[in-house]
Amino acid sequence: MLDAIKPDLDYHALNAMLNLYDADGRIRFDADRMAARQYFLQHVNQNTVFFHNLDEKLRYLVDEGYYEAAVLDQYSRNFQREIWDAAYARKFRFPTFLGAFKYYTSYTLKTRDGHRYLERYEDRVVMVALALARGDEALALRFMDEMLSGRFQPATPTFLNAGKKSRGELISCFLLRIEDNMESIGRAINSSLQLSKRGGGVALMLTNIRESGAPIKGIENQSSGVIPVMKLLEDSFSYANQLGARQGAGAVYLNAHHPDILRFLDTKRENADEKIRIKTLSLGVVIPDITFDLAKRNEDMYLFSPHDIQRVYGVPFSDISVTEKYAEMVDDKRIRKKKINAREFFQTLAEIQFESGYPYIMFEDTVNRANPIDGRITMSNLCSEILQVNEASQFNDDLSYAHMGTDISCNLGSLNIAKTMDGPDFGATVEAAIRALTAVSEMSAIDSVPSIRKGNDEAHAVGLGQMNLHGFLAREHIHYGSPEGVEFTSVYFAAIAYHAIRASMLLAREKGATFKGFEKSTYADGSFFDKYTDRDWLPGLPDVARVFDGITLPTRDDWAALKLQVMEHGLYNRNLQAVPPTGSISYINNSTSSIHPIVSKIEIRKEGKIGRVYYPAAYMSNENLDYYRDAYEIGPEAIIDTYAAATEHVDQGLSLTLFFPAEATTRDINRAQIHAWKKGIKTIYYIRLRQTALEGTEVQGCVSCTL
Amino acid sequence: MRDMVTSVAKAINWNRLEDEKDLEVWNRLTVNFWLPEKVPLSNDVPSWATLRPEERQLTIRVFTGLTLLDTLQNGVGAPAMMPDAITPHEEAVLSNIAFMEAVHARSYSSIFSTLCSTKEVDEAFRWSEENPHLQHKARLVLEEYRADADPMRRKIASVFLESFLFYSGFYLPMYWSSRAKLTNTADLIRLIIRDEAVHGYYIGYKYQRGLEKLDEAKRAALKDFAFSLIFDLYDIEAKYTAELYDGIGLTEDVKAFLHYNANKALQNLGYEALFPPAACEVNPAILAALSPDSENHDFFSGSGSSYVIGKAVATEDEDWDF
Repeated sequence: MLDAIKPDLDYHALNAMLNLYDADGRIRFDADRMAARQYFLQHVNQNTVFFHNLDEKLRYLVDEGYYEAAVLDQYSRNFQREIWDAAYARKFRFPTFLGAFKYYTSYTLKTRDGHRYLERYEDRVVMVALALARGDEALALRFMDEMLSGRFQPATPTFLNAGKKSRGELISCFLLRIEDNMESIGRAINSSLQLSKRGGGVALMLTNIRESGAPIKGIENQSSGVIPVMKLLEDSFSYANQLGARQGAGAVYLNAHHPDILRFLDTKRENADEKIRIKTLSLGVVIPDITFDLAKRNEDMYLFSPHDIQRVYGVPFSDISVTEKYAEMVDDKRIRKKKINAREFFQTLAEIQFESGYPYIMFEDTVNRANPIDGRITMSNLCSEILQVNEASQFNDDLSYAHMGTDISCNLGSLNIAKTMDGPDFGATVEAAIRALTAVSEMSAIDSVPSIRKGNDEAHAVGLGQMNLHGFLAREHIHYGSPEGVEFTSVYFAAIAYHAIRASMLLAREKGATFKGFEKSTYADGSFFDKYTDRDWLPGLPDVARVFDGITLPTRDDWAALKLQVMEHGLYNRNLQAVPPTGSISYINNSTSSIHPIVSKIEIRKEGKIGRVYYPAAYMSNENLDYYRDAYEIGPEAIIDTYAAATEHVDQGLSLTLFFPAEATTRDINRAQIHAWKKGIKTIYYIRLRQTALEGTEVQGCVSCTL
Repeated sequence: MRDMVTSVAKAINWNRLEDEKDLEVWNRLTVNFWLPEKVPLSNDVPSWATLRPEERQLTIRVFTGLTLLDTLQNGVGAPAMMPDAITPHEEAVLSNIAFMEAVHARSYSSIFSTLCSTKEVDEAFRWSEENPHLQHKARLVLEEYRADADPMRRKIASVFLESFLFYSGFYLPMYWSSRAKLTNTADLIRLIIRDEAVHGYYIGYKYQRGLEKLDEAKRAALKDFAFSLIFDLYDIEAKYTAELYDGIGLTEDVKAFLHYNANKALQNLGYEALFPPAACEVNPAILAALSPDSENHDFFSGSGSSYVIGKAVATEDEDWDF
């Protein structure tokens, strides 16, 4: 059908043709390929600075202060030529317009005026490899190979920044506690500014802040609760963006049993008053098991004053289990409380999710039961996949630390499931990824927030994610959410867990060091491994066995051997896996996002920096469209079942978005939440709705509209 | 309403529908309720600064033009159609339409107060009062909205306003967003487009129901009127478009978009297309940008245009079976 495409169309128009069927009702994939090609011909090639050879280029980039000399100086000139030649010999091409466009608008190194490109994709990959390998030539080649073949893709902050002279941090994500005093609140706002400036998403926990109307210094009705703190944070995040590169972004988490919970949710109402409306801050609610039990019995749920909990128990609200202490607190007259109906609470939650997509949910008790580390998980992050323990700090009047606790940071990177399955050595790919992520942790020292630095130094926590599950399954003619799809997910993630733990054990053995608190973890006493040594996690269904053909999967004996090695040498990283939603990097990597189903056969992507662009799902053609049912067609249950199979093997969390047609009711959302909680899901990320155009008002021939 | 004449006041009963379409459209309009405050327009401030002065002036003018149309439809158009309503439910839907038009008019002011200086805005409003083409099309439509005008002709004018006249203005924010500029403003405009599409469709539907009750001669006369009005309006729109868009060289593209929407407006009235497909080849980037559905955005920098007010249904014991 390409003859029908007007030759004078620019690449934006060619790309947009993806979203409009051709005269025969077929999707015009070739228009998108032509858009990618035209983008290079009309734009990229004309705007790329030309160098005669590598030496000239590197000299220029170092002399002009674009590349960090120290990164290159770790390697000989000969090796530099070798790795660059090897990278260029791969003949990398972007298969989609959005992949190329996203890379050149958001990642590649540009001249300071922003007009000319200084790097091609290969250059970026090699610089990231050289920076993370820290002088180890063999490792640098390995990293380059994993990235350029598309198996391993570091998260945006790492891929964007590594090797550049003036750059933000390599870490994606930060989590901060706030305690119930002005020093802690002030420090949290300062930390949010500092971390946003350096380029990470920040989540803050509000659970411990006393409720609206609580006494201050014994005088009643003084506190204004959590809303004004949220307002301060929202403004802080919009103020600090990294030189305009990325919006400052923040999330706040609150326990469902905090007395301000309904006010907190109402900030996202469509008709919320301007004084309390929260526009860009993300919300998350921490829900313990007891809330579900109360709702099951259709009882009221009591909300407890954090101020009184602190006085009675001597610890902050977040550090007690509401489920465990619920009956006790209800009977304790020293703790002031109010009550709301538990089912109505869930209904309100769903109403707000309809209107805004928020809040995220963290199932507190599920998360803590699955936590192999000593300590308590009290919150999650901006994408609800980070689940780590933290510890409160105490401050002096001058804001210095009286006791420095630990806060959380996490650096992320994801494997492309299809490419990893196609790769020559499954275990080696996982090991390389863990080594790359560990390097990011070791190279980072966030001095502006000492509790973050301390947490990172002690834990070396990383989060290895996965993407392209739907693309892979569809390519292999397996339906997402089918028994085969779920079993594949389970076997795959068990194998990832094995190799990730093994890699971390190797690192501990090499470095002679473990993360702090290893001896108190269930890794150290071996009980973590019970579920892997009691049974095998191997394919049973023929189609699943077929796709694993040629890949060596760990048996229960392998796990038993690993258990002994871990008990002897320890683990270097306190946390290993976390499955992020993978927006931008999955476009560059030609993947479907995370382990989600696709949202649409042709996805409409809108971002501040790149406008509206159209993206075809990975490996999709007009012949295999049947395997690309979208998330709304697949429905929440099959998505939850797939995530439950993965959750079993992931020590942290997974960003799980649920999708509903706009005709759904709050009850449908509540039922999905109950199903998720029952299946052991740890967190829920966004609720997304799709409204189909009223018959007679739709844009004709549009692919992403109703099918 | 006609019962008012015999002074029997009747309460509206939504459980006795004469036309199912009233409820369907009512439900759609109410779940689509929104206010401009939900869109983080201030995220567009940096991108606004990258527009050249003449591009900024164009954008403000386009928005004042749209404000004028929304003001007409809110203050005159929708209320004028209420007495024509055949069912009380239709009247209720029209009151919703009238209110949302006020929200739309209000939205442009939100855009102005976020992005522009008072002086720029005041100048643009003066421009809108002095621009002959803008005033001319307003006059033509207002003519049909007069209390003594024909109710069917009123609907024709109203559909043309909702489904055709707005689009010379809507083109620009869609164009900017396809160029990665003013993307949050485009989100807001897309919410407006979502509403206007339903309004034009509904009024057109009611027009077609009205036609069924008329004899052949009256129908033919109305059709003649509709086509002659769209010719007149198109004529003005073409000049208005050239005046606005010649400066940045987009006039031909906008005109194709006008043809496309003129056909849509006629389709809403149940009439055949006026412009041949070849004249309606809208730039795919603009056409694709119109669909608000299933957009996948970076949640941290915008709110998107796809959230709705949900239907609340309490959970039952069986849901809590664990």
